[in-house]
Amino acid sequence: MSWELVFFAVFSAAMLLCGLGVVAFENPVHSAVALVGSFINVAALFVMLGAEFLGVLQIIVYTGAVLVLVLFTIMLIDPTKLPEFYVGAPLQRFASVVVGAILLAEIGVAIITRTALEQIGPHTEAMVQQMGGNVQAIGQVMLSEYALAFEIASLVLTVGVVGAVVIGLPNRMVEPNTVTMSLGHTRGSSDMLAAGPKFESPMNIPAERYTAPVGERTVVMTKDPDAYTHPGETSK
Amino acid sequence: MGDQPIWITFIVTFAIMTVLLLSMAYTTWYERKVLARFQDRLGPTRTGKAGLMQPLADAVKLMGKEDLVPDAADRNVFLFAPLITFTTALLSAAVIPWGGTVQIFGTDVNLYPTDINVGALFILATGSIGVYGIILGGWSSGNRYSLLGAIRSAAQVISYELILGFSLVGIFIITGTMSLTDIMFKQHEMLSFGPFEISNWFVLTQPLGFVLFVIAAVAETNRAPFDLPEAESELVAGFMTEYSAMRFALYFLGEYISMIIMSLFAATLFLGGTSGPGADKFWGLGIMWLVLKVMAFLFFYIWLRATLPRFRFDQLMGLAWKVLLPLAILNIVVTAFFRLIGNGQVF
Repeated sequence: MSWELVFFAVFSAAMLLCGLGVVAFENPVHSAVALVGSFINVAALFVMLGAEFLGVLQIIVYTGAVLVLVLFTIMLIDPTKLPEFYVGAPLQRFASVVVGAILLAEIGVAIITRTALEQIGPHTEAMVQQMGGNVQAIGQVMLSEYALAFEIASLVLTVGVVGAVVIGLPNRMVEPNTVTMSLGHTRGSSDMLAAGPKFESPMNIPAERYTAPVGERTVVMTKDPDAYTHPGETSK
Repeated sequence: MGDQPIWITFIVTFAIMTVLLLSMAYTTWYERKVLARFQDRLGPTRTGKAGLMQPLADAVKLMGKEDLVPDAADRNVFLFAPLITFTTALLSAAVIPWGGTVQIFGTDVNLYPTDINVGALFILATGSIGVYGIILGGWSSGNRYSLLGAIRSAAQVISYELILGFSLVGIFIITGTMSLTDIMFKQHEMLSFGPFEISNWFVLTQPLGFVLFVIAAVAETNRAPFDLPEAESELVAGFMTEYSAMRFALYFLGEYISMIIMSLFAATLFLGGTSGPGADKFWGLGIMWLVLKVMAFLFFYIWLRATLPRFRFDQLMGLAWKVLLPLAILNIVVTAFFRLIGNGQVF
């Protein structure tokens, strides 16, 4: 048994175990950590295949960027307050099974044609060496043969970024509601309040009887910040 | 450059690791001394001559302390997280060359542990795994200051890693390779301007890339003025608030190792690595030049810490995405344009 086989067994076993951990762990952060382990082992397998560039990219892009963002999000979730797992509508479930089966079949076909039937693709080891190495070979193929797919992928990413920015923007269409809540000035402590009607305590002024003081800012009197009424509006 | 028996690689790796771990301990001493001078103090003086035994005393103290795990912590992740930061920081030393192939006692020895064709990306990759130590450590502590530190760190490292990578693309375009050994030896060539000869260091042809790289490297190692993940005045100690004893030391030393690695990386990429007067005649001189360059970088790190106040978080993000990233892309476009002119494919 060669060393290569031993390493392959170790890496792929670790990858599968980590993959199992992703679905088996109850805590979502533990699942994400298991996914990190799985991705690192995938990168190791890439390196064993002589695809160092893909291996390093796998780590930089998936482990270093995508999964950090995933962790970033789920770290803020309290795992004890998660809702029951929702498996989706029947149609969704059916569609996901079909898509999963198609993807699995694609991988199966690729494995069978490339290894069992020995139909090796154009980029053999000798060919890659002739092109100057992994990086050069991927660069040339990606920017010539697959240039269209490359551009479409970048377009999809741009759409994603623009969408995220649009969702994240504050809603500028709505008139901003600049109301200052003033809770608990005692009488006479503010010049602005002195212009208003005199009550025992501003806390007791019913909103509809209060006239706004002179000045730019509107002062709203309320006991409960959730239930205030704007002066000028009639109370709801 | 070529294959060598594996036992020579082991010896070289062992030597590099020993030197790296020792120099990491003494970087703490160096920082305390230099920082003290900036602040008109003496720094450590009591332990040994000029405080030279201070790192050993610290190590003994840290090993003797109790290893606490908070009740609210996620125990396994909490115990595991510091190891990620420390080991990944050490791992990146594997691709940094300390010279070419030299003859020692009549045997050919490669003065680097390994030379892979994506060496520069390898260092970025180990750095991006290293951030998990910080994120998981902060999350698993069960402390909101730690969690805040972890979240800040995640956002910061992702943003600045992009700039770190982009600032190198100019060099890749010029040299056509990502192997650190090849990049270093490209810089050993001399450029002649009439009677003057200067080394072809990439800091001369890639000045913008160099500036971007240094800024991003400081942010990537969480050093002042970008030390928001552990901002003392806001977050106690950020992601390491709950850590004690050796696990705290692992974070602490991991930070110093990544400082040294980033300095080695910068010296190799932009300052010619081992290139310098006499380096081509005797390999020991080359190593000496590399060490001098690294010490200059470390001094710069400490200088920054002594001089600049910490950024606010929105300033940090604004700087990365609105200033540095467009500059990095500009650098790539301009470099590619000049490369095409050099190839005679334009005009």
